[in-house]
Amino acid sequence: MLKMRSTDLIIRRVFSSLTSLRLQPFSTQPAIQERLETFRTTENSPLNHTEDHIGQFYRIPPETKKQLFLYGGLAKSYEIQTKTFTETCFMVRKPAVDIIYCMKTIDYSKPAIRFVMYGKKGNGKTLSLAHILHYALESKFLIVHVPWVGNWMRRCKESSNSEVKEGFIDLNIDAAAWLIHFKNQNAHLLGDPELKVAEDHVWNKRETTPKDAPLTELVEFGINRIKYASRCVVALAEEIKKLSKAGKCKTFVAVDGFNALFYPQTNILTEKKQVVHPSKVTLTEAFLNLTKFDWNNGVAVVIVDEIAIGEKDQISHLPRYLLGKEGFEHMDPFVPILVSEYTPKELKSCMDYYRERKWVQPLPGQDEELTFLSASNPYRLMLLCNPL
Amino acid sequence: MAAIKTLLNKYQVLATKTPLFSAFIQRNGMSQYPSYYIKPIYKKETQEEMYKSGEVQKMTHIPTRAALNDQTCSVFHDELLTLFVNYVMKDGLKVLTRELVEKSLENIKRIQLEKYHKAKTEEEKQNIELNPKVIFHKAVENCKPLLQLTPVKRGGVTYQVPVPVTDKRSQFMSMKWLIEAGREKERTVKFPEKLAYELIDAANNTGRVIKKKHELHKLCEANRAYAHYRWS
Amino acid sequence: MATVTRLYRQQIFRPSYILSRHLAEDTEFRVLNLKTTRSQPVQRKKLKKPDVLPPRSYQMPVDQDWGSVWPGPRSFHPATVPLPIRQGYVDKGAPPGKYGNAELMKIPNFLHLTPPVIKRQCEALKRFCTPWPRGLETDSKCEDHFPVEVASSNYCYSSPSIRDPMARIVTVKVKLSRIPLDEHAKDKFLRLVGDRYNESTDMLTIVTDRCPLRKQNYDYAMYLLTALFHESWRVEAWEKLKSEADMEYYDWKVSASKKSIETLFGKEHTDITHADTYSQTVDALMNEGESEYSVTKYGEAVRQMLQLPQ
Repeated sequence: MLKMRSTDLIIRRVFSSLTSLRLQPFSTQPAIQERLETFRTTENSPLNHTEDHIGQFYRIPPETKKQLFLYGGLAKSYEIQTKTFTETCFMVRKPAVDIIYCMKTIDYSKPAIRFVMYGKKGNGKTLSLAHILHYALESKFLIVHVPWVGNWMRRCKESSNSEVKEGFIDLNIDAAAWLIHFKNQNAHLLGDPELKVAEDHVWNKRETTPKDAPLTELVEFGINRIKYASRCVVALAEEIKKLSKAGKCKTFVAVDGFNALFYPQTNILTEKKQVVHPSKVTLTEAFLNLTKFDWNNGVAVVIVDEIAIGEKDQISHLPRYLLGKEGFEHMDPFVPILVSEYTPKELKSCMDYYRERKWVQPLPGQDEELTFLSASNPYRLMLLCNPL
Repeated sequence: MAAIKTLLNKYQVLATKTPLFSAFIQRNGMSQYPSYYIKPIYKKETQEEMYKSGEVQKMTHIPTRAALNDQTCSVFHDELLTLFVNYVMKDGLKVLTRELVEKSLENIKRIQLEKYHKAKTEEEKQNIELNPKVIFHKAVENCKPLLQLTPVKRGGVTYQVPVPVTDKRSQFMSMKWLIEAGREKERTVKFPEKLAYELIDAANNTGRVIKKKHELHKLCEANRAYAHYRWS
Repeated sequence: MATVTRLYRQQIFRPSYILSRHLAEDTEFRVLNLKTTRSQPVQRKKLKKPDVLPPRSYQMPVDQDWGSVWPGPRSFHPATVPLPIRQGYVDKGAPPGKYGNAELMKIPNFLHLTPPVIKRQCEALKRFCTPWPRGLETDSKCEDHFPVEVASSNYCYSSPSIRDPMARIVTVKVKLSRIPLDEHAKDKFLRLVGDRYNESTDMLTIVTDRCPLRKQNYDYAMYLLTALFHESWRVEAWEKLKSEADMEYYDWKVSASKKSIETLFGKEHTDITHADTYSQTVDALMNEGESEYSVTKYGEAVRQMLQLPQ
């Protein structure tokens, strides 16, 4: 017994030495306070973000986040992070600032301009788009946002033959889900009495959406009558274009995984178990219609991503390859926007942010090693920081 | 093998003919290196210290083994953790195992951060350890048993005799218990999650592994009467 | 017991027989030869080496006329070649010397083609030659005057037949730039010749071997060249159907890209400002393959054209 006690004592001593050895996060508190200006900006409105804010984080309020991203739009891994950090912060990065600046200066009476964001996997294309979406929300754009086209083409909920168009496939449940997303994102604008339907939409013998009905009615109809959801989305796209042309609203179209609309191998099958080409899906029509240039008062930002296509075809991340010939001709002339890896400044600021959130314990020489291990790729950096 | 080596060490006369014998040893031993190869020093800090103290001069011309593939000079390298990874590993799936252990460290961090944000006073916050590696070290240290029971046969009866354990053995047992506790779970729960909880519990001196240790200690205490069988 | 005694008896009988034989041969002194060995071992026949002259190379003077020692092609002979040659490989030690070395005999040698011999032979042949035509001094001049290069091979070796089936093959080479072709004709010509045209050297190569005689093959090659030329200049009615997918390179002027910017701006592409840089970048993007650089250039051109901030 005596022996045991003595060893216990020794162990306790070892503990105390261990705790004294470890780097205490609170000892570095003043240093973090000093750096606060460098990695975090108090400018929380994306309307005022300029080149000076590049590399800094800004916080978006939970209500805004709920409105914009309740039904998708942020990666799952990022959602987990926001839950742990108890706040949602976006880094102001060059591509987003670039597009926002362009959107401020565009002459909206001219045909719609299309931006194509491209970049390697995990470079933060979707988060840059989220930043731009926030800007669009703040500057009262009507938002048409598709969180991930791959959800439709590669793992659709349900498919059925179109009643109106021969040989076309409807994805009604997905369409209805998207309509809910659309309604949620534009809740503050849809109440506007100016937004009216421009022509009659006859769904069947009994149900029609008459001319001059509010746009909300069309959306509500699609949500309630799931059978007509796909047709409703197509009609809605057409209506939005007309409204924008008439100058009643400004529209911001954002499509993530846009190249899935041109990739021939989908997971949608017909009744005869034949693969359906995306051009034979009614939803495709709606969003291709919205990314044309034959209207004004609108901007389209689409993301082309390697992950949206089959793994065997993930050869290049460049837009011409991902869009294919058809897609390139559809988008041309577009403005390619490269979303690159973190610059050293951005990486530093990201690591500072992690340290401030107590996610990563400060350790000398840490940032350099992580830079090399992650090759400055934001997603890889996040994964590497997880167990630290 | 060991007998030959000790013989070699004892008789200086034989030691002069080492090359001949070392070839013999090498053919029979498992190592690809001759016995006079020293282990590498792969930590930069230790290297620098050795340069300062001049210890390097001694080993400049001694042939050195190559470093193992999990011995790096990375700032994140933790010897105990790599050992732990090796203990968790099954069928040589090291990459998977490392991922699992890293995932459990991540889970520890998430749990602790949640506690941290829930804590109201500054003092409470200060008491929450956020470094998963420190928690891990603490947990392993807390779970180390001091005594162990070994069966000893005396007069046709097998007695469970309490025996003190070496530091290395107790460390192994502590890690083994932690891993066992992590594996004992519902089918729906994942290993990293369960391991994270066990590690946090052990670091707080609570939980099943600590209980197991105490039970063992209690048994040893109960069997103290047999202790003399160790040497008689 | 009985069998043992019989054996014993037999053993006794044999020596007695040998003994009696010896008695008959000589009576000098009887030796008991128990082991039946012959008295004198037979002398081994001594191997007699044939008389061989020392290698000829030992007697060769330093200033001899090598051309007469080794006048024609011949396989290697160690005694004739006064060189300390070694050839081959052994595990340890130097390569084997030249005597009895099959390695040296296997490989072809050019000992009959030493520079002085060649010089002498050229001198001897000179009186059968005509002077080099004037005006064809350099290779470029030759090429200029005779753009078509015809090649065939003669074979000569010590078989009973003096004909070789390979001799009939005729190769005709011509530079494509020497054939007068316009854009359409050139395109058609290239499609007709297929892989017979080497783009890096601009050389067209026609090989004919389908006829039994060289003359016929040559005629056929010339016919092919003529036919190709005339066929490529002819424009068939169906050639108007050539669409964008059949183009061998991306041409912006007939592309969908041009159409779309013309509808976007509502005017001809010549009237659009910065449309020319745009078209160049699209051409580069499509023809030279996509890269980070070409995409950036394309983006810059589009921004310029759409009057967006850079």
